[in-house]
Amino acid sequence: MSLNRDRADTAFTFKGGMLPMTVMELASADPERIRAQLAGKVSQAPAFFQHTPVVLSVEQIDEPHLALERICAVCRAHKLLPVAVRGGSDPVKQSAWALGLGWFPPQESRPRAVETRPVESGLVEASIEADLPVPPTEVAVQAGGRIHRGTVRSGQQISASEGDLVVIGAVNPGAEVLAAGSVHVYGPLRGRALAGIHGDREAGIFCHDLNAELLSVAGTYKRLEDIDPKMLGCSVQVGLKEDQLRISALT
Amino acid sequence: MAKIIVVTSGKGGVGKTTSAAAIATGLALRGNKTVVIDFDVGLRNLDLIMGCERRVVYDLVNVIQGEAGLKQAMIRDKRSENLHILPASQTRDKDALTLEGVEKVLMDLSEEFDYIICDSPAGIERGAQLALYFADEAVVVTNPEVSSVRDSDRILGLLSSKSRRAEQNRDPIKEHLLVTRYNPNRVNDGDMLNLDDIREILAIDLVGLIPESEAVLRASNQGVPVIHDDKSDAGQAYADTVSRLMGEDVPLRFQSVQKRGLIARMFGGGGRR
Repeated sequence: MSLNRDRADTAFTFKGGMLPMTVMELASADPERIRAQLAGKVSQAPAFFQHTPVVLSVEQIDEPHLALERICAVCRAHKLLPVAVRGGSDPVKQSAWALGLGWFPPQESRPRAVETRPVESGLVEASIEADLPVPPTEVAVQAGGRIHRGTVRSGQQISASEGDLVVIGAVNPGAEVLAAGSVHVYGPLRGRALAGIHGDREAGIFCHDLNAELLSVAGTYKRLEDIDPKMLGCSVQVGLKEDQLRISALT
Repeated sequence: MAKIIVVTSGKGGVGKTTSAAAIATGLALRGNKTVVIDFDVGLRNLDLIMGCERRVVYDLVNVIQGEAGLKQAMIRDKRSENLHILPASQTRDKDALTLEGVEKVLMDLSEEFDYIICDSPAGIERGAQLALYFADEAVVVTNPEVSSVRDSDRILGLLSSKSRRAEQNRDPIKEHLLVTRYNPNRVNDGDMLNLDDIREILAIDLVGLIPESEAVLRASNQGVPVIHDDKSDAGQAYADTVSRLMGEDVPLRFQSVQKRGLIARMFGGGGRR
Protein backbone atom coordinates (compact mmCIF):
# COMPACT_ATOMS: atom_id res chain seq x y z
CA MET A 1 0.00 0.00 0.00
CA SER A 2 1.45 3.29 -1.06
CA LEU A 3 1.96 5.98 1.53
CA ASN A 4 0.89 8.62 -0.95
CA ARG A 5 -2.35 6.97 -1.77
CA ASP A 6 -5.02 9.45 -2.73
CA ARG A 7 -7.33 10.31 0.12
CA ALA A 8 -10.38 10.22 -2.13
CA ASP A 9 -9.88 6.46 -2.53
CA THR A 10 -10.64 5.68 1.05
CA ALA A 11 -14.22 5.05 1.99
CA PHE A 12 -13.53 5.75 5.67
CA THR A 13 -10.86 6.36 8.21
CA PHE A 14 -10.77 5.06 11.75
CA LYS A 15 -10.36 7.69 14.39
CA GLY A 16 -10.14 7.46 18.11
CA GLY A 17 -12.77 9.47 19.88
CA MET A 18 -14.08 10.01 23.35
CA LEU A 19 -17.75 10.70 23.69
CA PRO A 20 -19.63 11.40 26.87
CA MET A 21 -21.88 8.48 27.67
CA THR A 22 -24.53 7.94 30.25
CA VAL A 23 -23.88 4.85 32.25
CA MET A 24 -26.90 3.17 33.75
CA GLU A 25 -25.57 1.43 36.77
CA LEU A 26 -27.90 -1.45 37.59
CA ALA A 27 -28.26 -2.53 41.17
CA SER A 28 -31.10 -4.89 40.31
CA ALA A 29 -31.61 -7.14 37.30
CA ASP A 30 -35.38 -7.24 37.77
CA PRO A 31 -36.93 -5.64 34.65
CA GLU A 32 -40.10 -4.74 36.55
CA ARG A 33 -38.22 -2.77 39.20
CA ILE A 34 -36.30 -0.98 36.47
CA ARG A 35 -39.53 -0.22 34.64
CA ALA A 36 -41.10 1.23 37.77
CA GLN A 37 -38.18 3.52 38.47
CA LEU A 38 -37.84 4.58 34.82
CA ALA A 39 -41.48 5.56 34.69
CA GLY A 40 -40.92 7.91 37.61
CA LYS A 41 -37.82 9.39 36.00
CA VAL A 42 -39.55 10.09 32.69
CA SER A 43 -42.13 12.26 34.39
CA GLN A 44 -39.37 14.15 36.25
CA ALA A 45 -37.13 14.83 33.28
CA PRO A 46 -38.76 14.09 29.96
CA ALA A 47 -35.98 15.92 28.07
CA PHE A 48 -33.50 13.30 29.14
CA PHE A 49 -35.34 10.43 27.49
CA GLN A 50 -34.84 11.28 23.80
CA HIS A 51 -33.29 8.07 22.45
CA THR A 52 -30.35 8.73 24.73
CA PRO A 53 -27.63 6.14 24.25
CA VAL A 54 -26.77 4.39 27.50
CA VAL A 55 -24.23 1.83 28.62
CA LEU A 56 -25.75 -0.76 30.94
CA SER A 57 -23.34 -1.38 33.75
CA VAL A 58 -24.00 -4.73 35.44
CA GLU A 59 -20.86 -4.81 37.54
CA GLN A 60 -22.78 -4.71 40.80
CA ILE A 61 -24.93 -7.66 39.88
CA ASP A 62 -23.50 -10.98 40.87
CA GLU A 63 -25.61 -13.28 38.72
CA PRO A 64 -24.25 -15.34 35.83
CA HIS A 65 -27.40 -14.93 33.68
CA LEU A 66 -29.42 -11.78 33.21
CA ALA A 67 -32.67 -11.06 31.44
CA LEU A 68 -30.73 -8.70 29.21
CA GLU A 69 -33.24 -8.76 26.39
CA ARG A 70 -36.12 -7.74 28.66
CA ILE A 71 -34.04 -5.04 30.35
CA CYS A 72 -33.21 -3.61 26.92
CA ALA A 73 -36.84 -3.71 25.92
CA VAL A 74 -37.81 -1.79 29.05
CA CYS A 75 -35.17 0.81 28.30
CA ARG A 76 -36.26 1.23 24.69
CA ALA A 77 -39.85 1.58 25.80
CA HIS A 78 -38.70 4.60 27.79
CA LYS A 79 -36.66 6.02 24.92
CA LEU A 80 -33.28 4.97 26.20
CA LEU A 81 -31.04 3.25 23.65
CA PRO A 82 -28.78 0.64 25.20
CA VAL A 83 -25.63 0.55 23.08
CA ALA A 84 -23.36 -1.58 25.20
CA VAL A 85 -23.00 -3.55 28.40
CA ARG A 86 -20.21 -3.10 30.86
CA GLY A 87 -19.04 -5.89 33.14
CA GLY A 88 -20.80 -9.13 34.00
CA SER A 89 -20.07 -12.79 33.45
CA ASP A 90 -19.12 -14.53 30.22
CA PRO A 91 -22.74 -15.54 29.40
CA VAL A 92 -23.74 -11.90 29.86
CA LYS A 93 -21.05 -10.89 27.39
CA GLN A 94 -22.27 -13.51 24.88
CA SER A 95 -25.87 -12.45 25.15
CA ALA A 96 -24.89 -8.77 24.78
CA TRP A 97 -23.18 -9.63 21.50
CA ALA A 98 -26.17 -11.72 20.43
CA LEU A 99 -28.38 -8.68 21.01
CA GLY A 100 -26.07 -6.55 18.84
CA LEU A 101 -24.68 -4.65 21.84
CA GLY A 102 -21.06 -3.89 22.55
CA TRP A 103 -19.33 -5.15 25.66
CA PHE A 104 -16.86 -3.31 27.86
CA PRO A 105 -14.72 -4.88 30.55
CA PRO A 106 -15.58 -3.80 34.09
CA GLN A 107 -14.12 -0.52 35.23
CA GLU A 108 -11.27 -1.00 37.63
CA SER A 109 -11.64 1.89 40.00
CA ARG A 110 -14.56 4.21 40.33
CA PRO A 111 -14.00 6.46 43.32
CA ARG A 112 -16.63 8.96 42.17
CA ALA A 113 -19.46 6.51 41.77
CA VAL A 114 -19.57 5.83 45.48
CA GLU A 115 -20.64 9.38 46.19
CA THR A 116 -23.48 9.50 43.72
CA ARG A 117 -25.01 6.11 44.31
CA PRO A 118 -27.90 6.01 46.75
CA VAL A 119 -27.82 2.63 48.38
CA GLU A 120 -31.48 1.81 48.52
CA SER A 121 -32.62 2.63 44.98
CA GLY A 122 -32.56 0.15 42.15
CA LEU A 123 -30.98 2.47 39.60
CA VAL A 124 -28.22 4.92 39.95
CA GLU A 125 -29.77 8.25 40.77
CA ALA A 126 -28.48 10.58 38.14
CA SER A 127 -29.74 13.65 39.95
CA ILE A 128 -31.69 14.95 36.99
CA GLU A 129 -33.24 18.35 37.38
CA ALA A 130 -36.51 18.64 35.52
CA ASP A 131 -35.45 21.96 34.00
CA LEU A 132 -32.00 20.77 32.99
CA PRO A 133 -31.96 19.60 29.39
CA VAL A 134 -28.43 18.17 29.43
CA PRO A 135 -28.19 15.08 31.61
CA PRO A 136 -25.23 14.71 33.88
CA THR A 137 -22.97 12.23 32.21
CA GLU A 138 -20.08 10.08 33.15
CA VAL A 139 -17.37 9.91 30.53
CA ALA A 140 -17.42 6.30 29.42
CA VAL A 141 -13.80 6.30 28.39
CA GLN A 142 -11.88 8.06 31.13
CA ALA A 143 -10.09 11.08 29.74
CA GLY A 144 -7.33 10.56 32.30
CA GLY A 145 -5.65 13.57 33.75
CA ARG A 146 -4.74 14.19 37.31
CA ILE A 147 -4.82 16.91 39.92
CA HIS A 148 -2.15 16.95 42.59
CA ARG A 149 -2.58 19.22 45.58
CA GLY A 150 0.46 20.18 47.62
CA THR A 151 4.17 20.60 47.14
CA VAL A 152 5.93 18.10 44.88
CA ARG A 153 9.18 17.50 46.72
CA SER A 154 12.68 16.54 45.65
CA GLY A 155 12.76 12.90 44.54
CA GLN A 156 9.03 12.72 43.94
CA GLN A 157 7.62 12.08 40.52
CA ILE A 158 4.03 12.87 39.69
CA SER A 159 2.77 11.75 36.33
CA ALA A 160 -0.43 11.65 34.32
CA SER A 161 -0.09 8.89 31.75
CA GLU A 162 -3.23 10.17 30.05
CA GLY A 163 -4.43 13.73 29.82
CA ASP A 164 -3.18 16.78 31.67
CA LEU A 165 -1.47 17.11 35.00
CA VAL A 166 -2.46 19.96 37.27
CA VAL A 167 -0.28 20.71 40.28
CA ILE A 168 -1.73 23.06 42.85
CA GLY A 169 1.43 23.90 44.74
CA ALA A 170 5.14 24.17 44.11
CA VAL A 171 7.34 21.75 42.19
CA ASN A 172 10.64 21.82 44.06
CA PRO A 173 14.16 21.27 42.72
CA GLY A 174 14.80 17.57 42.14
CA ALA A 175 11.10 16.81 41.60
CA GLU A 176 9.65 15.74 38.28
CA VAL A 177 6.17 16.26 36.85
CA LEU A 178 5.10 14.52 33.64
CA ALA A 179 1.97 14.31 31.55
CA ALA A 180 0.81 12.83 28.29
CA GLY A 181 -0.98 16.12 27.80
CA SER A 182 -0.11 19.49 29.26
CA VAL A 183 1.43 20.29 32.62
CA HIS A 184 -0.10 23.10 34.66
CA VAL A 185 1.64 24.28 37.81
CA TYR A 186 -0.17 26.76 40.00
CA GLY A 187 2.91 27.66 42.00
CA PRO A 188 6.65 28.00 41.46
CA LEU A 189 8.13 25.46 39.02
CA ARG A 190 11.64 24.70 40.22
CA GLY A 191 11.95 21.04 39.18
CA ARG A 192 11.61 19.23 35.87
CA ALA A 193 8.43 19.43 33.83
CA LEU A 194 7.75 17.19 30.83
CA ALA A 195 4.61 17.55 28.75
CA GLY A 196 3.51 15.41 25.82
CA ILE A 197 5.51 12.42 27.01
CA HIS A 198 3.84 10.17 24.43
CA GLY A 199 4.63 12.60 21.66
CA ASP A 200 1.73 15.03 21.78
CA ARG A 201 3.22 18.10 20.13
CA GLU A 202 0.22 20.24 20.99
CA ALA A 203 0.86 19.87 24.72
CA GLY A 204 2.24 22.74 26.74
CA ILE A 205 3.60 23.69 30.12
CA PHE A 206 2.01 26.49 32.11
CA CYS A 207 3.36 27.79 35.38
CA HIS A 208 3.76 30.68 37.77
CA ASP A 209 7.31 31.61 38.67
CA LEU A 210 9.43 29.74 36.14
CA ASN A 211 12.65 28.34 37.60
CA ALA A 212 12.49 24.90 36.04
CA GLU A 213 15.53 22.65 35.90
CA LEU A 214 14.21 21.23 32.66
CA LEU A 215 11.29 21.92 30.35
CA SER A 216 10.27 19.40 27.71
CA VAL A 217 7.41 19.14 25.25
CA ALA A 218 7.19 15.94 23.18
CA GLY A 219 10.88 15.27 23.68
CA THR A 220 12.16 18.72 22.77
CA TYR A 221 13.73 20.18 25.84
CA LYS A 222 15.46 23.16 27.37
CA ARG A 223 17.64 23.13 30.45
CA LEU A 224 17.64 25.90 33.00
CA GLU A 225 20.82 27.24 31.38
CA ASP A 226 19.10 27.52 28.03
CA ILE A 227 16.16 29.48 29.32
CA ASP A 228 16.22 33.21 28.67
CA PRO A 229 17.00 34.72 32.10
CA LYS A 230 14.38 37.37 31.45
CA MET A 231 11.71 34.68 31.69
CA LEU A 232 12.87 33.35 35.04
CA GLY A 233 10.47 34.12 37.83
CA CYS A 234 7.68 34.95 35.38
CA SER A 235 4.34 33.30 34.70
CA VAL A 236 4.85 31.59 31.39
CA GLN A 237 3.49 29.18 28.83
CA VAL A 238 5.76 26.79 27.00
CA GLY A 239 4.90 25.11 23.72
CA LEU A 240 6.41 23.72 20.53
CA LYS A 241 6.65 26.02 17.56
CA GLU A 242 8.51 24.89 14.46
CA ASP A 243 10.34 22.21 16.43
CA GLN A 244 11.57 24.77 18.92
CA LEU A 245 10.48 25.16 22.48
CA ARG A 246 8.89 28.57 22.73
CA ILE A 247 8.56 30.23 26.13
CA SER A 248 6.30 33.22 26.33
CA ALA A 249 4.89 35.26 29.17
CA LEU A 250 1.34 34.63 30.26
CA THR A 251 -0.37 37.93 30.23
CA MET B 1 0.81 7.28 74.98
CA ALA B 2 4.10 8.91 74.20
CA LYS B 3 4.54 11.35 71.39
CA ILE B 4 7.15 10.02 68.94
CA ILE B 5 9.31 12.73 67.38
CA VAL B 6 11.92 11.90 64.75
CA VAL B 7 14.86 14.25 64.24
CA THR B 8 15.91 13.84 60.64
CA SER B 9 17.50 15.70 57.73
CA GLY B 10 18.60 13.53 54.83
CA LYS B 11 21.98 15.22 54.70
CA GLY B 12 24.66 14.34 57.21
CA GLY B 13 26.52 16.72 59.46
CA VAL B 14 23.75 19.29 59.76
CA GLY B 15 23.21 18.83 63.49
CA LYS B 16 20.68 16.02 63.88
CA THR B 17 22.29 14.39 66.89
CA THR B 18 23.09 17.73 68.55
CA SER B 19 19.48 18.76 68.04
CA ALA B 20 18.04 15.44 69.20
CA ALA B 21 20.16 15.59 72.37
CA ALA B 22 19.24 19.22 73.04
CA ILE B 23 15.53 18.73 72.39
CA ALA B 24 15.33 15.56 74.48
CA THR B 25 17.18 17.25 77.33
CA GLY B 26 15.00 20.34 77.08
CA LEU B 27 11.81 18.30 77.20
CA ALA B 28 13.10 16.37 80.21
CA LEU B 29 14.15 19.54 82.04
CA ARG B 30 10.53 20.69 81.78
CA GLY B 31 9.31 17.62 83.56
CA ASN B 32 8.46 15.35 80.63
CA LYS B 33 9.54 11.75 80.86
CA THR B 34 11.68 11.49 77.75
CA VAL B 35 13.75 8.83 76.04
CA VAL B 36 16.08 9.53 73.13
CA ILE B 37 16.95 6.64 70.81
CA ASP B 38 19.99 6.53 68.53
CA PHE B 39 19.00 4.90 65.23
CA ASP B 40 22.42 5.39 63.67
CA VAL B 41 23.54 1.79 63.95
CA GLY B 42 27.22 1.48 63.14
CA LEU B 43 27.95 5.19 63.62
CA ARG B 44 26.91 5.63 67.21
CA ASN B 45 27.28 9.27 68.32
CA LEU B 46 24.41 10.18 70.57
CA ASP B 47 26.04 8.63 73.64
CA LEU B 48 29.07 10.90 73.12
CA ILE B 49 26.97 14.03 72.79
CA MET B 50 24.99 13.01 75.87
CA GLY B 51 28.21 12.20 77.75
CA CYS B 52 27.22 8.64 78.64
CA GLU B 53 29.52 6.67 76.34
CA ARG B 54 31.27 4.97 79.24
CA ARG B 55 28.06 3.60 80.61
CA VAL B 56 26.83 1.79 77.50
CA VAL B 57 26.38 -1.94 78.11
CA TYR B 58 23.54 -3.01 75.86
CA ASP B 59 22.09 -1.21 72.86
CA LEU B 60 19.03 -0.96 70.62
CA VAL B 61 20.07 -3.94 68.51
CA ASN B 62 20.49 -6.12 71.62
CA VAL B 63 16.96 -5.20 72.68
CA ILE B 64 15.47 -5.87 69.25
CA GLN B 65 17.20 -9.23 69.02
CA GLY B 66 16.07 -10.20 72.50
CA GLU B 67 19.55 -10.29 74.01
CA ALA B 68 18.74 -7.65 76.60
CA GLY B 69 15.68 -6.04 78.15
CA LEU B 70 14.77 -2.40 77.62
CA LYS B 71 15.48 -1.59 81.26
CA GLN B 72 18.98 -3.03 80.95
CA ALA B 73 19.78 -1.11 77.78
CA MET B 74 18.43 2.30 78.75
CA ILE B 75 20.87 4.68 80.38
CA ARG B 76 19.59 7.26 82.82
CA ASP B 77 20.97 10.74 82.21
CA LYS B 78 23.28 12.08 84.90
CA ARG B 79 21.75 15.54 84.90
CA SER B 80 18.06 14.91 84.50
CA GLU B 81 16.28 11.97 86.00
CA ASN B 82 13.43 12.32 83.50
CA LEU B 83 15.76 11.56 80.62
CA HIS B 84 16.87 8.18 79.31
CA ILE B 85 19.12 7.28 76.42
CA LEU B 86 18.86 4.16 74.29
CA PRO B 87 22.16 3.91 72.41
CA ALA B 88 22.77 2.40 69.01
CA SER B 89 25.12 -0.46 68.36
CA GLN B 90 28.52 0.46 67.05
CA THR B 91 29.45 -3.01 65.83
CA ARG B 92 26.39 -4.18 63.95
CA ASP B 93 25.08 -2.85 60.67
CA LYS B 94 21.78 -1.20 59.89
CA ASP B 95 20.15 -4.41 58.70
CA ALA B 96 20.06 -5.54 62.32
CA LEU B 97 17.01 -3.31 62.79
CA THR B 98 13.63 -4.76 61.85
CA LEU B 99 10.33 -2.98 61.47
CA GLU B 100 8.62 -5.33 63.94
CA GLY B 101 11.47 -4.99 66.40
CA VAL B 102 11.43 -1.21 66.28
CA GLU B 103 7.66 -1.18 66.63
CA LYS B 104 7.81 -3.39 69.72
CA VAL B 105 10.46 -1.20 71.36
CA LEU B 106 8.49 1.96 70.63
CA MET B 107 5.23 0.44 71.90
CA ASP B 108 6.89 -0.66 75.14
CA LEU B 109 8.51 2.74 75.67
CA SER B 110 5.28 4.46 74.78
CA GLU B 111 3.61 3.20 77.96
CA GLU B 112 6.22 4.70 80.23
CA PHE B 113 7.34 7.92 78.55
CA ASP B 114 5.79 11.23 77.44
CA TYR B 115 8.20 11.80 74.57
CA ILE B 116 10.26 9.43 72.43
CA ILE B 117 12.90 11.23 70.38
CA CYS B 118 14.33 9.21 67.47
CA ASP B 119 17.73 10.40 66.28
CA SER B 120 17.78 9.39 62.63
CA PRO B 121 20.90 8.47 60.67
CA ALA B 122 21.71 10.52 57.59
CA GLY B 123 20.55 9.31 54.21
CA ILE B 124 17.24 8.00 53.01
CA GLU B 125 17.94 4.30 53.34
CA ARG B 126 16.54 1.72 55.70
CA GLY B 127 17.92 3.19 58.93
CA ALA B 128 16.46 6.60 58.23
CA GLN B 129 13.16 5.11 57.05
CA LEU B 130 12.81 3.00 60.18
CA ALA B 131 13.53 6.01 62.38
CA LEU B 132 10.74 8.02 60.79
CA TYR B 133 8.22 5.24 60.12
CA PHE B 134 6.38 5.36 63.45
CA ALA B 135 6.74 9.10 64.08
CA ASP B 136 3.92 11.41 65.10
CA GLU B 137 6.00 14.53 64.55
CA ALA B 138 9.21 15.26 62.70
CA VAL B 139 11.88 17.86 63.26
CA VAL B 140 13.63 18.40 59.93
CA VAL B 141 17.09 19.82 60.59
CA THR B 142 18.33 22.03 57.78
CA ASN B 143 21.43 24.16 57.24
CA PRO B 144 21.22 27.36 55.21
CA GLU B 145 22.74 25.81 52.11
CA VAL B 146 21.15 24.52 48.94
CA SER B 147 22.22 20.88 49.26
CA SER B 148 20.82 20.64 52.76
CA VAL B 149 17.54 22.22 51.69
CA ARG B 150 17.19 19.80 48.82
CA ASP B 151 17.86 16.79 51.05
CA SER B 152 15.35 18.06 53.60
CA ASP B 153 12.83 18.39 50.80
CA ARG B 154 13.49 14.76 49.90
CA ILE B 155 12.99 13.65 53.51
CA LEU B 156 9.73 15.61 53.68
CA GLY B 157 8.57 13.59 50.68
CA LEU B 158 9.37 10.37 52.53
CA LEU B 159 7.62 11.59 55.68
CA SER B 160 4.45 12.09 53.70
CA SER B 161 4.61 8.77 51.85
CA LYS B 162 6.72 6.18 53.66
CA SER B 163 5.49 6.56 57.23
CA ARG B 164 2.95 4.47 59.07
CA ARG B 165 0.61 7.46 59.33
CA ALA B 166 0.76 7.87 55.54
CA GLU B 167 0.25 4.16 54.88
CA GLN B 168 -2.70 3.93 57.24
CA ASN B 169 -4.21 7.14 55.88
CA ARG B 170 -4.16 8.75 59.30
CA ASP B 171 -3.42 12.42 59.97
CA PRO B 172 -0.04 13.17 58.43
CA ILE B 173 3.13 13.53 60.49
CA LYS B 174 3.40 17.05 61.89
CA GLU B 175 6.50 18.49 60.26
CA HIS B 176 8.67 21.15 61.88
CA LEU B 177 11.58 22.99 60.32
CA LEU B 178 14.66 23.51 62.48
CA VAL B 179 17.31 25.67 60.84
CA THR B 180 20.73 25.18 62.39
CA ARG B 181 24.15 26.78 61.90
CA TYR B 182 22.52 30.04 60.88
CA ASN B 183 24.98 32.87 60.61
CA PRO B 184 23.27 36.23 59.96
CA ASN B 185 26.54 37.84 58.89
CA ARG B 186 27.11 35.28 56.17
CA VAL B 187 23.46 35.46 55.17
CA ASN B 188 23.90 39.22 54.67
CA ASP B 189 27.03 38.58 52.63
CA GLY B 190 25.09 36.18 50.42
CA ASP B 191 27.16 33.14 51.46
CA MET B 192 24.19 31.46 53.09
CA LEU B 193 20.56 31.09 52.15
CA ASN B 194 18.35 33.33 54.19
CA LEU B 195 15.58 32.01 56.36
CA ASP B 196 12.79 33.17 54.05
CA ASP B 197 14.27 31.30 51.07
CA ILE B 198 14.47 28.08 53.08
CA ARG B 199 10.93 28.46 54.36
CA GLU B 200 9.59 29.22 50.91
CA ILE B 201 11.01 26.04 49.40
CA LEU B 202 10.26 23.66 52.24
CA ALA B 203 6.87 25.20 53.07
CA ILE B 204 6.56 23.83 56.59
CA ASP B 205 6.29 25.53 59.99
CA LEU B 206 9.48 26.82 61.56
CA VAL B 207 10.06 25.45 65.04
CA GLY B 208 13.45 26.96 65.69
CA LEU B 209 16.47 28.85 64.44
CA ILE B 210 19.81 27.87 65.95
CA PRO B 211 22.64 30.32 65.29
CA GLU B 212 26.07 29.05 64.36
CA SER B 213 27.81 29.04 67.70
CA GLU B 214 31.06 28.02 69.26
CA ALA B 215 29.03 26.75 72.17
CA VAL B 216 27.78 23.82 70.08
CA LEU B 217 31.22 22.37 69.39
CA ARG B 218 32.29 22.94 72.98
CA ALA B 219 29.18 21.23 74.32
CA SER B 220 29.56 18.33 71.93
CA ASN B 221 33.15 17.67 72.94
CA GLN B 222 32.30 17.94 76.61
CA GLY B 223 29.38 15.57 76.28
CA VAL B 224 26.92 18.07 77.71
CA PRO B 225 23.93 18.89 75.49
CA VAL B 226 24.20 22.54 74.51
CA ILE B 227 20.80 23.36 75.97
CA HIS B 228 22.40 23.14 79.45
CA ASP B 229 24.56 26.11 78.46
CA ASP B 230 21.77 28.59 79.05
CA LYS B 231 24.07 31.59 78.65
CA SER B 232 24.93 30.64 75.08
CA ASP B 233 22.94 31.77 72.08
CA ALA B 234 22.56 28.20 70.79
CA GLY B 235 21.42 26.96 74.19
CA GLN B 236 18.76 29.65 74.39
CA ALA B 237 17.67 29.01 70.82
CA TYR B 238 17.19 25.30 71.63
CA ALA B 239 15.23 26.22 74.74
CA ASP B 240 12.94 28.34 72.54
CA THR B 241 12.62 25.40 70.14
CA VAL B 242 11.53 23.09 72.95
CA SER B 243 8.95 25.65 74.08
CA ARG B 244 7.50 25.78 70.57
CA LEU B 245 7.44 21.98 70.34
CA MET B 246 5.41 22.00 73.55
CA GLY B 247 2.97 24.41 71.94
CA GLU B 248 4.11 27.72 73.39
CA ASP B 249 4.31 30.83 71.25
CA VAL B 250 7.83 32.20 71.54
CA PRO B 251 9.22 35.04 69.39
CA LEU B 252 12.05 34.18 67.00
CA ARG B 253 15.52 35.30 68.10
CA PHE B 254 19.00 35.29 66.58
CA GLN B 255 17.73 35.94 63.07
CA SER B 256 19.58 39.20 62.53
CA VAL B 257 23.09 40.28 63.31
CA GLN B 258 23.56 40.79 67.05
CA LYS B 259 25.02 44.16 67.93
CA ARG B 260 28.00 43.52 70.13
CA GLY B 261 29.06 46.05 72.73
CA LEU B 262 32.40 47.80 72.75
CA ILE B 263 33.81 45.63 75.53
CA ALA B 264 32.72 42.41 73.82
CA ARG B 265 34.32 43.54 70.61
CA MET B 266 37.57 44.46 72.37
CA PHE B 267 37.86 41.23 74.28
CA GLY B 268 36.41 38.80 71.77
CA GLY B 269 33.84 36.87 73.73
CA GLY B 270 33.50 33.24 72.81
CA GLY B 271 30.01 32.88 71.49
CA ARG B 272 28.47 33.82 74.81
CA ARG B 273 26.56 36.92 74.04
